[in-house]
Amino acid sequence: MDLSIYIGGKKLVNPVGVASGTFGYGSEYEKLVDFTGLGALYTKTVTLKSRSGNKCPRIIETPSGMLNSIGLANVGVDRFISEKLPLLEQAGCALIPNIAGFTEYEYAAILKRLEASHLPWGYEINISCPNVSHGGFTFGTNPAMVEHLTAKLRRITEKPLIIKLTPNVTDIRGIAQAAENGGADAVSCINTLVGMVIDTKTKKPVLGNITGGLSGPAIRPVGVASVYRVKRAVTIPVIGLGGIMTADDAIQYFLAGASAIQIGTGNFVDPGIPQKVLAGIKDYCEHEGMKTIGDFHQFIE
Amino acid sequence: MKQIQAKVTGNNQIAKDYYKLVFSWEPPPDTGPGDSYPDFPNPQPGQFITIRVSETTVPLLRRPFAFSGYNAETGEASIIYLKRGKGTEILAGKCPGEYIDIIGPLGNYLKKPENKQKPVLVAGGIGLGPLLYFSSMLDQWQIPHLFIFGARTARYVPDMNSLKNVAICTDDGSKGFAGTVADFLNNFEEKELEHTMLYCCGPLPMLKACHGFATEYDLECYVVMEQIMACGVGACMGCTIKLKKPQGYARVCTEGPVFKSRDIAWT
Ligand SMILES: Cc1cc2nc3c(=O)[nH]c(=O)nc-3n(C[C@H](O)[C@H](O)[C@H](O)COP(=O)(O)OP(=O)(O)OC[C@H]3O[C@@H](n4cnc5c(N)ncnc54)[C@H](O)[C@@H]3O)c2cc1C
Ligand SMILES: Cc1cc2nc3c(=O)[nH]c(=O)nc-3n(C[C@H](O)[C@H](O)[C@H](O)COP(=O)(O)O)c2cc1C
Ligand code: FES
Repeated sequence: MDLSIYIGGKKLVNPVGVASGTFGYGSEYEKLVDFTGLGALYTKTVTLKSRSGNKCPRIIETPSGMLNSIGLANVGVDRFISEKLPLLEQAGCALIPNIAGFTEYEYAAILKRLEASHLPWGYEINISCPNVSHGGFTFGTNPAMVEHLTAKLRRITEKPLIIKLTPNVTDIRGIAQAAENGGADAVSCINTLVGMVIDTKTKKPVLGNITGGLSGPAIRPVGVASVYRVKRAVTIPVIGLGGIMTADDAIQYFLAGASAIQIGTGNFVDPGIPQKVLAGIKDYCEHEGMKTIGDFHQFIE
Repeated sequence: MKQIQAKVTGNNQIAKDYYKLVFSWEPPPDTGPGDSYPDFPNPQPGQFITIRVSETTVPLLRRPFAFSGYNAETGEASIIYLKRGKGTEILAGKCPGEYIDIIGPLGNYLKKPENKQKPVLVAGGIGLGPLLYFSSMLDQWQIPHLFIFGARTARYVPDMNSLKNVAICTDDGSKGFAGTVADFLNNFEEKELEHTMLYCCGPLPMLKACHGFATEYDLECYVVMEQIMACGVGACMGCTIKLKKPQGYARVCTEGPVFKSRDIAWT
């Protein structure tokens, strides 16, 4: 059995990663998790300048899930490179910085700075940000903007470029195709779904930011359906995420067409989940006589 | 910080809706050759653990609770908690011999006061646990102190006989002083307050009142804060509170839960 996978010609030793924003800059989990067992570590979104984030409270639990409105709080790309990345020098797993900008220029500027470091294995591009130079429309909701942005970033790096899709769109397939046309090596889906909780005592939204992003087991069926549809629209690998807590959840994603998966909210519940999921995938492969992740895709009709 | 399966050794009701859970670092049998948690770090007062109360997805997130005591000889630690929702209801059903998934100790802690300082501990409701632990440490250091505990009514007041110098306040006057802990503080004479240091843990309005009192008399005041948490280890940036400029937001789980009250941007 060989569970390694390739994205943009580069190898990941196993298909289980930890999702951006749920694993900090990695070092926070150092004492709890053996990084060498992780296929990939996607770090918290970095932006060009540091961001302090949204008003509090920023999280609230919902049925089988949670809402967050962290507001991309992060140290900014320069401190990320000088302070955070070096901590991961010895991590022993693929490091995939996740980046976001509010203009195309910002995305490009961040990527150029990261290119100076040898540590990133590749990049994940968070396109769930408003494009302030184009009326504030979220990059990820407009195929033309996605294709243009991807093509621009493609010219900057030869490392694997993964576009992370938002499910808050009318048709996720068109966005995935735009990423492929722009030269992406893979797409990951899904980011969080917009949601809200209202406190009936105060009659006001609970989150300081009013709305937040829904994640956790509640969104898993949305994630699986997104992967299923995207896989049938593109030829590049699809990375599935959304609500994965167990190996069975992950296997659903592989059967839908994912080549790799990420665990997000699950890390909060039990930092041991990525390791348990990987072990469970191996057991399943052994039991079902599967030798590679590609074997899961023979069931795709 | 570690993630372990801790063994429940006690879980008893101590007042209306309040429980004390006692657990030890003893790992489950058959966890592997020679498995134990010898290097589990000693918890400090103010620090907390997160517990995964159930394997189901409702409730989903781990629940944070402050240490209310620790016995280095037996390796037993405790928390005091209020049964208020789904998670704490499940916790109240845990029996001795069961194992619970905990991560800890987390966060910063209450430090030993300097020589001439006179600590006054002010606890309200679920703020009791961490200050009980701090009080026992002050006893060990032989530092005399006053413990003030506030509750709505007598039924919410657990047995506090272990404390040497305690003042109980109830909002309805059914036990001890009639009024809030803030009312109680306001009865102090200014000259009695010299070198007084406040350590406060409890509901937000109480903490604000303590901060107001400390500001008025220019006292040092530490508060143990709460915020809803997801990761508990500093990774999600979810548990922030606002500090005064230039500090900005701080994570309760990592920079806290103990803060100087004058650093907080109270609203
Ligand atoms: C650092 C820290 C230390 C704490 N120490 C204690 C303690 O010693 N004793 C005690 O009784 N309580 C303590 N709490 C509060 C305790 O975590 C909540 O009472 C508990 O999570 C409620 O869970 P529930 O499912 O029973 O209630 P729910 O019905 O889920 O929620 C009731 C209320 O509890 C709070 N809460 C819910 N989920 C969380 C969460 N994930 N993180 C933080 N707060 C939450 C919210 O204010 C919510 O409105 C502490 C909280 C923090 C942050
Ligand atoms: C607290 C929190 C913070 C997040 N921050 C980011 C982020 O900075 N960038 C990003 O691309 N996705 C972020 N996400 C989205 C996750 O990476 C993931 O796409 C989503 O949560 C769905 O997966 P899950 O259900 O396994 O959590 C965040 C999610 C959570 C819960
Ligand atoms: S709970 Fe995640 S940073 Fe504090």
